[in-house]
Amino acid sequence: MFRVAVEMLMHDKTKFLGLLIGIVFTAFLVTFAMGYFAGFMTRGFALVSENPSAKVWVMDPAVSSAEATINMSDSALDSVRGVAGVEYASPLYLGDVTARYANGDFQSFQIIGVDDATLSGAPLPADLLHIPNSVIVDSGGTEGKLQTPIYKKDMWSYDGSHLHAPTRELRYGDEMLVNSKRVMVAGISHTIPRFPPRPLLYTTASNFKRLIPGEKRYITFIMVHPAKNVTPDELAKRITRTTHLKAITSEAFKKETVMWFMINSEDVGDMVNMVILAMLVGFGVTGVMLYMFTYENLKQYAVLKAMGASTKQLSDMIFTQVFISALAGSGIGVGIAAVLEQIVSSPTFPFRMMWFAPLVGFLGVIIVSMTAAFISLRPIKTMEPAIVFKL
Amino acid sequence: MNSIIVSCKNIVKTFNAGEAEVKALQGVTLDVYENELLMLVGPSGCGKTTFVSVLSGLLSFDSGACEVMGKNIADMSDEEITAFRGKNIGFVFQAFNLLPSLTAIENVALPLTVAGEKRTKALNLSKKMLEAVGLGKKAYVKPSGLSGGEQQRVAIARALVHNPKFIICDEPTSSLDHTSGQIVMELLQKIIKEKGASMIVVTHDNRIYKYADRIVHMEDGKIIKVAS
Repeated sequence: MFRVAVEMLMHDKTKFLGLLIGIVFTAFLVTFAMGYFAGFMTRGFALVSENPSAKVWVMDPAVSSAEATINMSDSALDSVRGVAGVEYASPLYLGDVTARYANGDFQSFQIIGVDDATLSGAPLPADLLHIPNSVIVDSGGTEGKLQTPIYKKDMWSYDGSHLHAPTRELRYGDEMLVNSKRVMVAGISHTIPRFPPRPLLYTTASNFKRLIPGEKRYITFIMVHPAKNVTPDELAKRITRTTHLKAITSEAFKKETVMWFMINSEDVGDMVNMVILAMLVGFGVTGVMLYMFTYENLKQYAVLKAMGASTKQLSDMIFTQVFISALAGSGIGVGIAAVLEQIVSSPTFPFRMMWFAPLVGFLGVIIVSMTAAFISLRPIKTMEPAIVFKL
Repeated sequence: MNSIIVSCKNIVKTFNAGEAEVKALQGVTLDVYENELLMLVGPSGCGKTTFVSVLSGLLSFDSGACEVMGKNIADMSDEEITAFRGKNIGFVFQAFNLLPSLTAIENVALPLTVAGEKRTKALNLSKKMLEAVGLGKKAYVKPSGLSGGEQQRVAIARALVHNPKFIICDEPTSSLDHTSGQIVMELLQKIIKEKGASMIVVTHDNRIYKYADRIVHMEDGKIIKVAS
């Protein structure tokens, strides 16, 4: 009966194609949505990913993501360094600043201050930050936001802003004003793009404090590397117990950040809507095509029933047809999504095919196809087999 | 006298068409004997097809009793009737009802496939049956590549491949020209005599009456005459 089901399915090429398109569409969109989700989640915890030597992250107990933070007092660093099992601990300072370009235009940046001595957390070549008042600039997943005038006459002009002057990308030696203090671009880095995208300024802790004066608490995170005889998990618990600060492993911190985005980011809602829409449209096309396919072949099923085929055998035929279409359709759909990843994945477009994306795509197809199959069983179950005698 | 293979008593079947009631069968009583070729004739809408649908278990009836090979089909569940029909009854339809996606041999093998027979054995038996109806060379042709007469012969091979005891033919010659019709009827007559099966042929075609052992005339859901 398996072979008969397959022959029936392949015989009506138009409907088979329609069925396949519905499933391909569902698989593609669900996988794409998952890839997009994975992409922006990966960028959401980019700060953690770009510091792989920090196995434990220490923060204020109220912080639950790398995105929304509140600072700790400077004494926290000494407390953490005093905990047994800490090989080294480096502070990380986060803040938001608005920088003015030489033509009078301005741009918001996330500023990341790193330990002056170790420069731990700065992109390579980090020692450029030893140049006084220097910053390393990163686009952070944005495009066209790091622009400074081409011509000297448009820079810091006495006659006001030259906002419409021709511009170019920032480069070594350019200058900006942050809180009316001059900074010099010592380098352009290309770290992991951020989600949400935003330009970044890396600098030393001392320069950070110069640019954002007057704060009582500066340290946002303390990045800890455990000694050889202690696991990150064990050390995190020990730091929490000793300092009453929140200390978690980098992997746990990534997961917490993902959870934070899932609860707080509107983009997750957009992605869920995209998945629901994809499944609804996919179900619409697949369901209609499968129902039409079954309904138009009802007489053939009645003939089989007249020959002794049980309702279970006929149902198995429908499920076989759905399974084959689902297998082929999801393969194509996921394949298209994978190809698209190679084409569209860029610093400005967060898309990453992780292991769960095709899995969820296939699951979406299974849900859509099975629902369509169950609906298509109805005409089989309710058919009057005596229709075999009708012309 | 041969033994009775089908025994129907006072079969009543009513269809509801909106608010109107159509009495398709009004107390039909009929016995079909072993090795008999019985023709059921009468004008359109007289209840011939409804009657064969009832006695093959494809349609339920309102009252009366119907035994096929000693089994009261009213007492059987849908699954039991389906299994019983698959094993004991063969069908030849006016519109052939071949599956267009399958080749002639695969169509013939369907009753065996449904019964769970292994593919190789089913195809071997089907090949022999196709040869018996003179279509051995067209075994791997799909229905679209066969003439009407050839399609009906494939349908006959399909109806007989599992050696049913009882065969129901609904207008087997009405879609065929005279010559093809005669070939089909001679084939049916020959095969049932060889296999010892019983057959009911529903027909309008008086040119094939000569093949019948008995002719049952129906009108308005009743049997009005039985002729030998």
